[in-house]
Amino acid sequence: MYNFFDQLILTLGAWVVGLVVACGNGVSKFCCGQPLSEAAAHNVAAGTEIVLICVTIYGVFALCFGLATWLERKMLARIQNRYGPNRVGPFGLFQFVADGVKMLTKEDIVPARADKLVHFLAPAVVLAPALLMFAFLPFGRNMAPTNLDTAVIAFFAVGAGSEMALFMAGWGSRNKYSILGAMRAVAQMISYEIPLVLAAVPVVMVVGSLSTSQIVAAQGADGFLDMSRWFVWTPWGFAGFILFLVAATAESNRCPFDLPEGESELVAGFHVEYSGFKFALFFMAEYIGMMAMAGLGVTLFLGGWHGPKLLPSWMWFMGKGFLIVCWLIWLRGTLPRLRVDQLMAFAWKAMLPFALFNIFTTAVWFHLPKATLLQSAVAWLVTAALVAAAYWVVSRFVCRRAGALRVYHYAS
Amino acid sequence: MDVTFIILSLITVVGAIWAVTLRNLIHGVLSLVLFFFGVAGFFFYLNADFVGWVQILVYVGAVAILAIFAIMLTHNLTAKDEPGFFSLRWLTGMAIAAAVGAVLWFAIKNNAAMLQTAPAGVTSSVADIGRKMMTDWVVPFEVVSLLLTAAMIGAIVIAMEQISHRK
Amino acid sequence: MTTLAHFQLLASMLFAVGLFGAVTRRNAIVVLLSIEIMFNAANLSLVAFWRYGPHPEQLSGVVFAIFGITIAAAEAAVGLALVIVIYRYYKSIEVDKMRSLKG
Repeated sequence: MYNFFDQLILTLGAWVVGLVVACGNGVSKFCCGQPLSEAAAHNVAAGTEIVLICVTIYGVFALCFGLATWLERKMLARIQNRYGPNRVGPFGLFQFVADGVKMLTKEDIVPARADKLVHFLAPAVVLAPALLMFAFLPFGRNMAPTNLDTAVIAFFAVGAGSEMALFMAGWGSRNKYSILGAMRAVAQMISYEIPLVLAAVPVVMVVGSLSTSQIVAAQGADGFLDMSRWFVWTPWGFAGFILFLVAATAESNRCPFDLPEGESELVAGFHVEYSGFKFALFFMAEYIGMMAMAGLGVTLFLGGWHGPKLLPSWMWFMGKGFLIVCWLIWLRGTLPRLRVDQLMAFAWKAMLPFALFNIFTTAVWFHLPKATLLQSAVAWLVTAALVAAAYWVVSRFVCRRAGALRVYHYAS
Repeated sequence: MDVTFIILSLITVVGAIWAVTLRNLIHGVLSLVLFFFGVAGFFFYLNADFVGWVQILVYVGAVAILAIFAIMLTHNLTAKDEPGFFSLRWLTGMAIAAAVGAVLWFAIKNNAAMLQTAPAGVTSSVADIGRKMMTDWVVPFEVVSLLLTAAMIGAIVIAMEQISHRK
Repeated sequence: MTTLAHFQLLASMLFAVGLFGAVTRRNAIVVLLSIEIMFNAANLSLVAFWRYGPHPEQLSGVVFAIFGITIAAAEAAVGLALVIVIYRYYKSIEVDKMRSLKG
């Protein structure tokens, strides 16, 4: 029974592939009088499988995007003591459909002096990396779209493409707010990409592979309690997870790191000049990128699709991913925006040294003996002490002045 | 020649030509990004996945962004007084490039070893590359890491010079 | 079938394009980026030689290409920092105007 639900999507996919091949055979018999050759049938099956994977991932995550916008508005409303959307459907659940229809029917305005081609290309270019990032995440047992042995670095490389897209949007609009927002976005993303990658390095070190499938496999344990080997339970994994979450928040330009689109200073940052469906694409790219980051965090630190066998594996993945998304929304409802100097100081003076020291801590953990329970406990305590010491040193000495108040000299 | 090769070479050649000829510097950098993606595609095509991803990560994610920052910081969005297409400068440049290209072309054309086809089953797994880097190539690896550190510190010191003068 | 000659011809063509940009353009940033094109052409050539060569298990072409990318990144960082300093000094980044060796 469990296996049936666990592999339900794969079974459905195999059924659709079989159906398409059978239809192809029928068409071939009707046209040429003979069924498909073995090679042709194989090609048809492989092609159908690729199309199915794409359609499923994009369909599921487009739906998740809609649900995430609804969840965000509802949660923010709850935090701010309001109702939030409550008109369309039960609890306003279909608000995102109404929003989508509104976006589709709006007029598409292009500024007269805009760089037409760059302005036109930017929304598509910004969405492509966000969607591509899902190609490298295993969603459930036997449910990895690709099985690259370079998956983690591929994820970050694809993510690096979105910086250029944001710059294209800001520059193509020919608007001083959008160019300011784009330059801020690029500077912020390039700064926080370093702690983001360095936070993922310990996991790669311990597993000994860049493949996300193998990283997930290394965190699995047999039996009912399938969560004992998640990396987040180790001291270095916990520190890495926190670093990863903060850097991922900055990387997806979300509050408190939303300087690139800070409404009160830059109107809407790099997408000021976009309206209608192009704006919807930016919005979609932001949320889908956020979910991809959450998915990578789940894969690296929270055991991927592993979990107690109460729920199917893909449900564990989605559930953990949505938990991270909820955490991001909570953060947005709670924290005010940072200043640019605080943002940069935090990345370079706090997160970078801490992430580097975390790699050293992981090396210590890697070489400590962990054969018996006592040895594991000693290794755990030693690395925990190292992480705590690193945190103390970094917070006390390295970035002591990063959080200090700045003295403003008005009209001086 | 197959279709992948033709498409990728079109992308790279067109991207490279645009990058060196376009007057608008931002357009130049964007076509350079196209060129970088094309070269990364060639690396994937040649079964060097890791190099391809490193190419995208370093060139698209860092070098192109650095170039954009340099353009923005120097207020130089378009090269207005660039010489024209048939100026002496361009003709000289074309002659030099054509001469170098012709020499290379000649060397490749007259080499029988160049006509071999790709052997099957050549892969480069990350683990193998890492093992090579930590055994045979460990000295160059350490030298390059020192070079990167020196370049990072050097770039910061060079670019910060003015601030230190002011103090 | 694509032979090694195709890749080497393409790489030499890209190298020539980069060389053309480096000797023709006046803008220092474009000159630097043309040099990056030449670096890329060399990397492409190295990886193609590795793919078609007699000892692919040695991975020398791949490792060389990775070192090449690293060095090109360092070169770009220092070069663009120099461009910014030159702009502050000359208020221009045209390579023709940089004529004195004294700072």
